Amino acid sequence: MRAAMVWLPLAALVLWTVGPFLISLSVSFKQPAQVFSDPGLIPAQPTLDAYFRVIERPGFQQALWNSVVIAFGSLILTLVVGVPAAYALARFRFRGRHLLLLFSLLPMLVPKVGLMFPLFLLAVNLGAFDSRIFMILVFTGMLLPLAVWLLLGFFEAIPRDLEEAAAVDGATQMGAIIHIILPLSIPALLTVAVLAFREAWNEFELVLALTMTGNSRTLPYELFLMQDATGIADFPVQNAFALLTIVPLILVYLRIERYAAEGLLSGAVK
Amino acid sequence: MATGARSGAAATRIVGWQHSGIAYLSSAPAMIIVAMVLAFPVLFALWQSFFGVSPIRGEQPFVGFGNYTRVFSDPQFWASLGRTAIFVFGVIALGLTLSIIFAFALNRVVSGLRFIRGIAILPYIVSSVAAALMFRTLFNSDFGFPNQMLEFFGFAGIPWLSNGNWAMLVIIVAQVWTDLPLALLFILGGLQTIDKQLHEAALVDGATGWRSALYISLPLIVPQITLATVWLSFKAVTSLGTILALTGGGPGDSTQLLTLEMVRLGFDEYDTGTAMALVIIIFLLNAGLTLFYLGLQRKFGMK
Repeated sequence: MRAAMVWLPLAALVLWTVGPFLISLSVSFKQPAQVFSDPGLIPAQPTLDAYFRVIERPGFQQALWNSVVIAFGSLILTLVVGVPAAYALARFRFRGRHLLLLFSLLPMLVPKVGLMFPLFLLAVNLGAFDSRIFMILVFTGMLLPLAVWLLLGFFEAIPRDLEEAAAVDGATQMGAIIHIILPLSIPALLTVAVLAFREAWNEFELVLALTMTGNSRTLPYELFLMQDATGIADFPVQNAFALLTIVPLILVYLRIERYAAEGLLSGAVK
Repeated sequence: MATGARSGAAATRIVGWQHSGIAYLSSAPAMIIVAMVLAFPVLFALWQSFFGVSPIRGEQPFVGFGNYTRVFSDPQFWASLGRTAIFVFGVIALGLTLSIIFAFALNRVVSGLRFIRGIAILPYIVSSVAAALMFRTLFNSDFGFPNQMLEFFGFAGIPWLSNGNWAMLVIIVAQVWTDLPLALLFILGGLQTIDKQLHEAALVDGATGWRSALYISLPLIVPQITLATVWLSFKAVTSLGTILALTGGGPGDSTQLLTLEMVRLGFDEYDTGTAMALVIIIFLLNAGLTLFYLGLQRKFGMK
């Protein structure tokens, strides 16, 4: 009886989480007509047809490329800009430091939907509308506060003695950062990288606001448009597309689930 | 103060390395980017909300609080605010119930916790549009799983997405599905910090599993429950992609929330000033709700 009170909710949890994936997977292996005629979970005649039709779409290929460029661009820029800032905050006490720390709370106060329209106008006025580079900048800005916060906590936990020893041995500060701090910080760097990648890969609202053509549109927006364009809903293609956008993240995430879970928590709590 | 700062500087001094110039230089790029994409747009929205209608570069008369009074006298605004209230309340009610039940169960897991927790976090990596499309399939009235079940047991199927009230329920469920992982992790984190001895003491006093959970654990994790509430509420108030891709605000206007109203005003009608006023109202709504939850926690939380 007592065991049931633990296992029943756990079973419900797994069903609640995995159920929608399974149904989506099932539909993606059917022909459009079979979705209605063969509604069972396991398709009578499974086919990869929907996946081929997604991959062959020019819109999908271009959007995939845009997503890859923008997600990796944001990830790299976040680290390149975030690491020095976090290091400076962790190691120096300088005027304005508290103001910088306050900056890291901004995303908690400013929801992304609120930024759609102002950023759209900014992009138009800068001539940066529909530009992948501008989107990389925007996504980096969205993630930097959290990234700096995570890295700052990590850097502060690294004993200063290590760098002082390096200084005594004649290392430059840059040398100490590259050879001592960064190798020790790999878990934190990985966490930030995954969070940045996920943010850019999944972003929809800001892509909706900042893009116009297929040249810069990423996968979620392409998926959203396809749903409108197909007229009578082509359920297998929609689900195959949705699952194809999720797969890369699942692969990355399964490898570093531990960092991701801890990063999520530490990042979200402050 | 000055001595404090100086001793702080002394504590951080590393032989021959101390340059605050480098500190500024290395944090400047981050600061500039954040200022450009986060701080500036908010100030810009605030500024624009005081100006009249304009296509992107046209004439813009200063109207003071005119846009706000226009918003507040618009019955559409109040209708969408009411729908947002139902949506947010539904998300918090369902989200907290599920995350508390699931977290208590996960907390009892001895082995394999990481595996199940890993599964539980999966929805977090799904984009809002992909989740919405999965739920469109799931809640299809012809072949969707809920209707198949209902028909199997001899009930009539429900027109999930073509009836306004059911559509509201579907977007609530989809929103909770997407945002449950973090709420669950917050509460699980709280439970795991509770001293096991407390439960053993309660057991000696005759409190059994769920009674001890209710009277001992729950009061101790009020801060984490508050955090989960703030998170669910914030995500629900600002939810757009899920709803846009799932119902598009329909059927009729039944799921036209504040955020969709903002998109309609800004991007469909180019009513810059009013859209910005709505942006500011959404900011304030979030801030107000957060303060409200913290107030509730103070009132009913730990003495």
